[in-house]
Amino acid sequence: MRPLDLLDFALKTVTRYRLRTGLLLAAMAIGVAAVILLTALGEGARRYVANQFSALGTHLLIVLPGRNETRGGQPPMLGETPRDLTIDDALALTRSRLIRRLAPLVVGSATVSFAGRSRETNILGSTAELLAVRHLELAQGQFLPALDPRRAAPVCVLGNQVRDELFGPEPAVGRWLRIGDRRFRVIGVLAPKGQSLGTDVDNTAIIPLASAQNLFNTASLFRVLVEVDRREDTARAQQAILTLIRARHEGEDDITVITQDAVLATFDKILRTLTLAVGGIAAISLVVAGILIMNVMLVSVTQRTQEIGLLKALGTTPRTIRGIFLGEAAILACWGAGAGLVIGAAGVGVGRFLYPTFPLAPPWWAVLAALGVAIGTALLFALLPARRAARLDPVQALAGR
Amino acid sequence: MSLQDWLWLVTGALRAHRLRSALTALGIAVGIAAVVLLTAIGAGIERYVLNEFTQFGTHLISIAPGKTSTIGLSMGVFGTVRPLSLDDSEALRRLPQIVGVAPVIRGNARVEAGQRNRRTEVLGVGPDTSAVWGIDVAAGHSLPRDDPRAARPFAILGAELRQELFGSASPLGQIVRIGQNRFRVIGIMAPKGQVLGFDMDNAIYIPAARALELFNREGLMEVDVRYEAAASTARITQAIRRLLMERHGREDFTITTQDQMLDVLGNILGVLTGAVAALGSISLLVGGVGILTIMTIAVTERTQEIGLLRAIGTGRRQLLLLFLGESVLLASIGGLAGLGLGIGLAWLLELLAPALPVRISAFYTLLALALSALIGLLAGVLPARRAARLDPIEALRAE
Repeated sequence: MRPLDLLDFALKTVTRYRLRTGLLLAAMAIGVAAVILLTALGEGARRYVANQFSALGTHLLIVLPGRNETRGGQPPMLGETPRDLTIDDALALTRSRLIRRLAPLVVGSATVSFAGRSRETNILGSTAELLAVRHLELAQGQFLPALDPRRAAPVCVLGNQVRDELFGPEPAVGRWLRIGDRRFRVIGVLAPKGQSLGTDVDNTAIIPLASAQNLFNTASLFRVLVEVDRREDTARAQQAILTLIRARHEGEDDITVITQDAVLATFDKILRTLTLAVGGIAAISLVVAGILIMNVMLVSVTQRTQEIGLLKALGTTPRTIRGIFLGEAAILACWGAGAGLVIGAAGVGVGRFLYPTFPLAPPWWAVLAALGVAIGTALLFALLPARRAARLDPVQALAGR
Repeated sequence: MSLQDWLWLVTGALRAHRLRSALTALGIAVGIAAVVLLTAIGAGIERYVLNEFTQFGTHLISIAPGKTSTIGLSMGVFGTVRPLSLDDSEALRRLPQIVGVAPVIRGNARVEAGQRNRRTEVLGVGPDTSAVWGIDVAAGHSLPRDDPRAARPFAILGAELRQELFGSASPLGQIVRIGQNRFRVIGIMAPKGQVLGFDMDNAIYIPAARALELFNREGLMEVDVRYEAAASTARITQAIRRLLMERHGREDFTITTQDQMLDVLGNILGVLTGAVAALGSISLLVGGVGILTIMTIAVTERTQEIGLLRAIGTGRRQLLLLFLGESVLLASIGGLAGLGLGIGLAWLLELLAPALPVRISAFYTLLALALSALIGLLAGVLPARRAARLDPIEALRAE
């Protein structure tokens, strides 16, 4: 029998049992669609996080005071040390030519009040460079002026939400408000940005570094965000920062430098593993579909015993008989996988339409794996029925026994 | 038809096609095993996390400076215009039904002892801390009840830090230096391990006033309050809020009770386990389609038999019950097998990877079993109705 005839023959038997074929396709399609949708969800989350990070700039280093020598311990997030990381330390860093710009940070919370309305708000003390380093956008007015960071100035830039709650429909720029017990003039309003990696930019007021240090009565910096000139220089810049600060801190290594890449890589790894696990769990259903195909093929071998006997009597080799049944399984699997692919893609499309900000997309490896596993298991599970059919004795089979 | 006859007919049909029945049940079994195993892992993780959180005990309230309406860490921990002071913590201690109050300041510094030194976490705490957090002092004393603003420079070492700084020698009575300050070691904490990523054993515990001085800070980062087990959480929370409002003039602090934390966490983890169970159920769905397929085939194959049964007076209802019984039985056998498989795998997993917490959840196990029976019922309805509707004469004549 020519391969084309074989295919034609298998196709006829597949289409003869409409309901049965339909159910098998449904089973296969559910599995494939589940794998595609779930991995798309995982991959979407991964891309979402990656986007969030690149919104912060990809060649960013974070310098924080304190260092832990415990292996595998987390870095000292709270940043209280006997020796402060000072503004002068940060300014010294700007002398390295590997560093494009940096923004020292002091954070805290204080009550911001205007005309009887008040609100507890996160306060960020920083310099003019913060705008570029954190890729913030202004909706109105201007950002902090580029002054000497050691000088306090009574100006502030409000996050979108703070502005709305304090001023409502009134204009905010140019008005005086109170942060803690000090007066500040609003010189700008940030464009709405939403949550950006844990810090709620919309619910923040930004004031000059020295003003924040006065407000919170602290001499130390909470963090220094450093933007490296070129991405390849990240490792060298990290070394340069450590060396510089060590020299300034009497030879003591008491800061931690985290690279953005390292943080991103950790997230990436976690989410990839998660996607893989979820896809794997969904793939179990493909195995169940495979078992179902085997079951139905076994039934059909029994039902078509006479037909097989006839084929054998006409001189069909066991090889060809095997081919017929495997071809049937392959057709079922391909159609089922195709249907699953379409359903999955449709689901992804609907998801994208509903949540345009979430980059929902199935990774190519998951699509290939879903199709591969679907067709692979179908063929594997069809092997037993196909062999059983090929081994039938022609005389016995013709008699229908 | 008597129940016995019914059972005989139903099981007879399954026994007639052993391989086919076994494979169909296997489909369901794989799905159920997936659900049982996945929820076992989910529930195990849930318990593990909750244990982590309750290591400090459940009758705890923590107060942090700064008030934010949104969920999450208030930036007040890092800096605030109105700090939570040691006086506040002392005032809290005088409230009724309070067992102990622990002020907390966390920092990072180099701890030196003789020739050895190590950069590690420094915890500024109070005399009640070991009682509040439920950590025992393994040797020596806990911090004495000094004047909280002028506490003597005593220190207690975490179990691992002691090992690092002093080896096997006794550190009691020795001097350690942190920054410019000297502290006399008066105790060693019992090993506690990591609590939420914070290594308690690698920390050094010094009086809160000394830590404020060391880090040049005005305020505490947190105050933990342990109250009597019999006391009402709401009333204690209320009392704390009233006291601090009186002292500060407004609500510029955040009170978190352990119950709230556990509730939120329990909810999140419960949803997670549910999601994982739903993932496993995809396989169950496919298994259900399997039963549907096989039952449809069975009805077609047994058309003559159905005709005969109808001819000798079997009612439509009885026929319906026969086929439904067959599919439910098939699914239930699969469910039971899957249960065994899932529990076996969970047990094996526990044996091979003891670090991974596994706990068979009775709720999800029963749910999975009920679900398998339900799937059998649903998958059986269509083919069974088809069988019941067959015209006896046509059916008898069928080839």
